[in-house]
Amino acid sequence: MKDVETRPKKYEGALILAIFLATLPLIIGFSLLILSSFSRDMITNFDFKSFHPTIENWINVFKGKLAITGGVKVNMGKIILNTLIVALGVSGLVTLISVMSGYALSRMDFKGRKWMIVSLMLLHAFPGVALIVGVYLLYRLSFPEGQNFVRLYSFIYVIFARAALEVPMSVWLMKGFFDTIPWEFEWSGIIDGASRITVWRKIMLPLIKPGILAVALFSFLAGWQDIIYVRTFLIDQTLATFIEANIEAEYTHMPLIAAAGTLYLLPTIIFFLTAQQILLRGYSGGIKG
Amino acid sequence: MVSVRLENIVKKFGNFTALDNVNLEIKDREFMALLGPSGSGKSTLLYTIAGIYKPTSGKVYFDDRDVTELPPKDRNVGLVFQNWALYPHMTVYKNIAFPLELRKAPREEIDKKVREVAKMLHIDRLLERYPWQLSGGQQQRVAIARALVKEPDVLLLDEPLSNLDALLRLEVRAELKRLQKELGITAVYVTHDQAEALAMADRIAVIKEGKILQVGTPDEVYYKPKYKFVGGFLGNPPMNFLEAKVEDGKLVITEESAIPIPRQYREIVEKTGVKEVYLGFRPHDAEVEKGISQGIVGEVYSFEPLGREQIVTISVNDSIVKVFAPEGEHFNFGEKVTIKVKEDLLVLFDKKTEKALEFLAG
Repeated sequence: MKDVETRPKKYEGALILAIFLATLPLIIGFSLLILSSFSRDMITNFDFKSFHPTIENWINVFKGKLAITGGVKVNMGKIILNTLIVALGVSGLVTLISVMSGYALSRMDFKGRKWMIVSLMLLHAFPGVALIVGVYLLYRLSFPEGQNFVRLYSFIYVIFARAALEVPMSVWLMKGFFDTIPWEFEWSGIIDGASRITVWRKIMLPLIKPGILAVALFSFLAGWQDIIYVRTFLIDQTLATFIEANIEAEYTHMPLIAAAGTLYLLPTIIFFLTAQQILLRGYSGGIKG
Repeated sequence: MVSVRLENIVKKFGNFTALDNVNLEIKDREFMALLGPSGSGKSTLLYTIAGIYKPTSGKVYFDDRDVTELPPKDRNVGLVFQNWALYPHMTVYKNIAFPLELRKAPREEIDKKVREVAKMLHIDRLLERYPWQLSGGQQQRVAIARALVKEPDVLLLDEPLSNLDALLRLEVRAELKRLQKELGITAVYVTHDQAEALAMADRIAVIKEGKILQVGTPDEVYYKPKYKFVGGFLGNPPMNFLEAKVEDGKLVITEESAIPIPRQYREIVEKTGVKEVYLGFRPHDAEVEKGISQGIVGEVYSFEPLGREQIVTISVNDSIVKVFAPEGEHFNFGEKVTIKVKEDLLVLFDKKTEKALEFLAG
């Protein structure tokens, strides 16, 4: 990895300190949350005296016991599953769309191509919240009749709506990745006898695995973390709406919510730690220059 | 093994004309080099033969078949790219097998053919490696193997040697020529390196700005160039050109330098009535004599010893001319010398059209 080495040594210490101080509030916030989940009472107001370590909260979270007393129970497993369904649905849909659209925009010439590429950036800047009234109207207008379908429909609708918000950026990303592959690979495939689709499937896709992973990951997290669309359209609960609903409820034992919150955080942290390796790996060789 | 015929090929990219009415015939089993500077359209022409590009107008024939509308996979061509384009996520074996797998050939047949062609190119021990584990020369053999494994009718090569180091280039050059002759496969070879073209090809097509200027054997394009450009493009160091006027049966280059019109041109000069010409001669076809005498007079500008001979750069008026001289002779900067050109090796080009006088009429 190349870099110029012009930074004077004496500033390094000060720089590291500054960065540390800048990130400190964040670190403190998250640490308090995680610690609270292991304590009998919340310590988020720096009240360390009330820190009584226990893993009760975590057991209760998985059992679904919301309150210490009384019998309020939730199906924690279902809630986590719902969040997973939304996240995976968004991820799958966005990846599928962007991997095909990115290729088309990168490699094929057709009328309106330039406009499409420009509009990708414009669409990405559009805040999802601003659209919500229109999207909700469409939701009500197309609401199905049967009882059974309603819950399925709300899932499908949330996934499609949330995915739509991620598509412009993802298509842009995928197009960028496709752009980096020299034309010779495609020509070679075509000469060898592959159809355009086979070239796409067997040659291009394997070459941009890091890109596909990045898009799949980011859209998964977008789906996992979503609160607004899930709150508006989904009839069932996900972790996000669960936490929101119970934060100030009378019967809630807050450290439990802290545990749920930490649970909610987990995929994001894990992905960012592990996926880095794969994302940074490139494919070398096979071509000169 | 087929012959390839290009008829009135025009290829435009938007407003840019890459190929301007190209007509070319490549005989069965022939090694044809497409020689030209960067951007001349030679790769475009190659890809048109391959089918990657469709001509804007014109036709491509393989033997008597009109293949203009056929996609590449139906033309049975093999293409070796300048930067090899080996699929990095596949082993060497899978790379070579890819064309056959696409044809849904049976497993045993694929295995047999892959191993055969790998053996022929001396890469049979590398089949389980990945492209990034191979040297440039090895990667290039894999690229050639992949092109040959489907037993194509035509082998197309796009500057395959330009990414190899100089020494390796010479080695592979000889091997490629040998391989083509052994297999008897019609080959079209794109290059900007004139030495490569002269060394390998049966015939050379010289291309400039989308037009074919001359097609001929290496001898023909080297010794009998039709255009000043062709004369200047082949040969290293390139052909020397001096402007001259025709006066009283003589070629006048400067006040001090007038030489008689060469025998082979006397009739043509009279017939065509040309008055202004370019005088062309190659550095090996002239001698340098010290002092001023009959011939082309100039001043020594520089000299480069090369071992058993030296290149003397001489300025004649404002032009620069290079001539070979034996190693023993010693020259001084600014020294006056006379260049004596072997008469029958001189080539005259019409100044206006830059065509060789022999070809001016037709």
